[in-house]
Amino acid sequence: MNSHDTGKNIIIAGVGGQGILLFSNIISQFYMNLGYELKISDVVGLGQRGGGVESHFRYSNKPVLSPFIKAGDVDYVISFEQTETLRFLHCLKADGVVFTSTYELTSSTVNTGLQKAMPESKTAIIKRSDKKIFAIDPTEHKSPDFDISKMMNVVMLGFYAEFRDYAHDDMIKIIKESVPKRFVEGNLKAYELGTTIARGELVAESSVIVKP
Amino acid sequence: MKTAKKFTAKKMMNGNEAVARGAFEAGVKVATGYPGTPSTEVMDYTHDRYPDIYCEWSTNEKVAVEVAIGASFAGYRSFAVMKTVGLNVAADALCGAAGSQINGGLVLVVSDDVGRISGDDNNDCRHFGNMFNIPVLEPSDSQDAKDFMVRAFEISEEYSTPVILKITSVTCKTKSRVVFDEDCTYEAKFRHEYPVSLSKVIMTTIMTKAKDSTHPKLTRYFNDFVANINRLASDSNDSDLNKLELNGTKIGIITAGTPYYYVKEVLPEASVLKLGLIMPLPEKKIRELAEHVEKLYVIEDGHDVLEKNIKDLGVSVIGKELFPKFPQMMRFTPDVIEEKLVPGAPKRTPQKDVPFRLPISCAGCSHLFIAQLLKKHKIKAAADVTCGLIGTFPHMEAYSFEKCMGSSIAMAHGYNIAKENKENLVAMIGDGGFWATGINGLMNLVYNNSQSTVIIVDNNCLAMTGGQNVASSEFGYHYKPENKLDIAKVCEAIGITDIVTVDPYKIESLEEAIMNAVNAKTNSVVIVQKPCVTRFKLPKDTPSYIDQDLCTQCRQCLHIGCLAIERKAGKDSHQIVINEDLCTGCRLCSTVCNQKAIQS
Repeated sequence: MNSHDTGKNIIIAGVGGQGILLFSNIISQFYMNLGYELKISDVVGLGQRGGGVESHFRYSNKPVLSPFIKAGDVDYVISFEQTETLRFLHCLKADGVVFTSTYELTSSTVNTGLQKAMPESKTAIIKRSDKKIFAIDPTEHKSPDFDISKMMNVVMLGFYAEFRDYAHDDMIKIIKESVPKRFVEGNLKAYELGTTIARGELVAESSVIVKP
Repeated sequence: MKTAKKFTAKKMMNGNEAVARGAFEAGVKVATGYPGTPSTEVMDYTHDRYPDIYCEWSTNEKVAVEVAIGASFAGYRSFAVMKTVGLNVAADALCGAAGSQINGGLVLVVSDDVGRISGDDNNDCRHFGNMFNIPVLEPSDSQDAKDFMVRAFEISEEYSTPVILKITSVTCKTKSRVVFDEDCTYEAKFRHEYPVSLSKVIMTTIMTKAKDSTHPKLTRYFNDFVANINRLASDSNDSDLNKLELNGTKIGIITAGTPYYYVKEVLPEASVLKLGLIMPLPEKKIRELAEHVEKLYVIEDGHDVLEKNIKDLGVSVIGKELFPKFPQMMRFTPDVIEEKLVPGAPKRTPQKDVPFRLPISCAGCSHLFIAQLLKKHKIKAAADVTCGLIGTFPHMEAYSFEKCMGSSIAMAHGYNIAKENKENLVAMIGDGGFWATGINGLMNLVYNNSQSTVIIVDNNCLAMTGGQNVASSEFGYHYKPENKLDIAKVCEAIGITDIVTVDPYKIESLEEAIMNAVNAKTNSVVIVQKPCVTRFKLPKDTPSYIDQDLCTQCRQCLHIGCLAIERKAGKDSHQIVINEDLCTGCRLCSTVCNQKAIQS
């Protein structure tokens, strides 16, 4: 356990089928290995695919009480779909950070005209927020080595681990234990891509942000 | 000298996993159930982790409870798992067991969908505790879930009563650390006290005065279940299942389940009674808290069951007048408690106008083909509780009505006789719903000489809960090819003569089969057979795409309700596009496009 880090509240969000639970399982193992106390609540809606999914992930050096994070207490929003990102912006602490994919799965209500599409680009709304935002556009990072539409979760994991300055070997070990053998190679490439993007962004930002 | 038990192992478990662990430690011999989100995994974990325990997915919840009752009477511990809507189905069986003499412990693991997260039902299983006079336990986290499962069996045997272990959409899906005895080995517990166990209606104490009888044939039938529950109520004041934490005197909270932890986080100074045994209530502890504090609140997920029961004791508590129960199955959050009970709590406003998501079918699902054809021919239809119910949502509008599991066949029959068979309203039902109770509807319509068309969607599993086996599946815990029930043969045996089996992807054959069935003035069954695309990971065909030069944005394809078709903001205007990562290449959309814009 890092004595400077007493714990964090994280919301991991996206739509069904994006590997939110895998992301949450991997970091759960990581923080457990570091000796933290944890509570993780995976709220899954109706429907097999395409429904909103949010995982409330809390680790702490003290026992965690509520499995849900109160609005205003969120340190990080990690989201694989930007409509879902928008749902949680108001939950962040003043110094909260957003890690989001700019991928979007249009809601069926908007598709069929039952609800209006938002008047401007969701990416623009997110970026205008007063919070620190890291946005990754999956279409800019297509790779022949893995399917980014399926492995954005692990790309984001690499980004997050780099941002937190974590030992990549520890994370990679857990990835290897967590995914089926035939997907290990692709997942490791996805993880590496995430760390590479993060290094680029963090160098650009290094003059303004202080790593926690 | 007894040595203290070692509790060395620690593991993150969700509530479902912890209940399964508890079943193992309790020495359960028979586990039955019917899938239902959020508690389906209780059975999955029990079956996968603890091979000593006999597990079965029964044909419905009532059967599951009856099987468990039989095992209990044989002297072995048994449990049945279901969601609360399933307990409605099983209520008659539970009523029979309530008040009966119990041999092996009998526990019903029942999940309430608080917050209506995983379904849209508003049932609260604690009402059954009140109605049948049986104990209800409610864990607050996974450690409780494991420990309470063991305690539930002890209570069941000690007080001779079935016990409900109430879990929720939050406890089931929340992972927390569980400490357990790693060295615990499996031993099927056996206890056989009674040679007979009859439901209380058989020997009603009022009519027969069996209590005052002396003949052994009469006395052995007598079970003083009221005394049993009263004894438990009295003992509950000293039970460690109920924890009274006396702190500040301003605010007192009576709570149970995960709301206990919301209270501890938001109101650390409050005095709290954490109820583990929520029925019957520990009256003395409640009064002790009431006397200690200025204001007493009850914070409970779901309906106002605790509140009413506490008020019945003559203790005044503040509950739904402060926390309105809308829409009935309320799910508390720390935010709600803070807003109401912490002065000056900051208000945070969510981003405006973020569209919500309706449930949507997977790309390539058989249900989309059926819904599309019914809409095309303006055929009225009743839907059932399966993935097909998504067709009732406003983005699809394929069905006229949808009610409970297995209901569509009987409802169609009712509609058609009322309309004197002038409209053939069709019943659509999944294989799960058909075996659960739909088969009764089919028998009913045959022998009552009805004229209805039934479309049975056979996707080889219960898809909506993640693909568990049903009676006609080609897999399962006890699967043998010779024991697989054949839907067509069963329909034939029931007396349906007009039975066709079709592949939905052969759209012309499907259309012909459905139209022939609808136009025939007789009972007919169309079996639409295609394994669930998601559960069985069916191979994909080349994805389709939309030629933007031909597309007029009429949205016909969007109304199919396929997850892969989207309307997206383009550079200057909106475009309708097919998400190539999600498309399975089933080609249904190309059949609805008048412009022939959808190609592959």
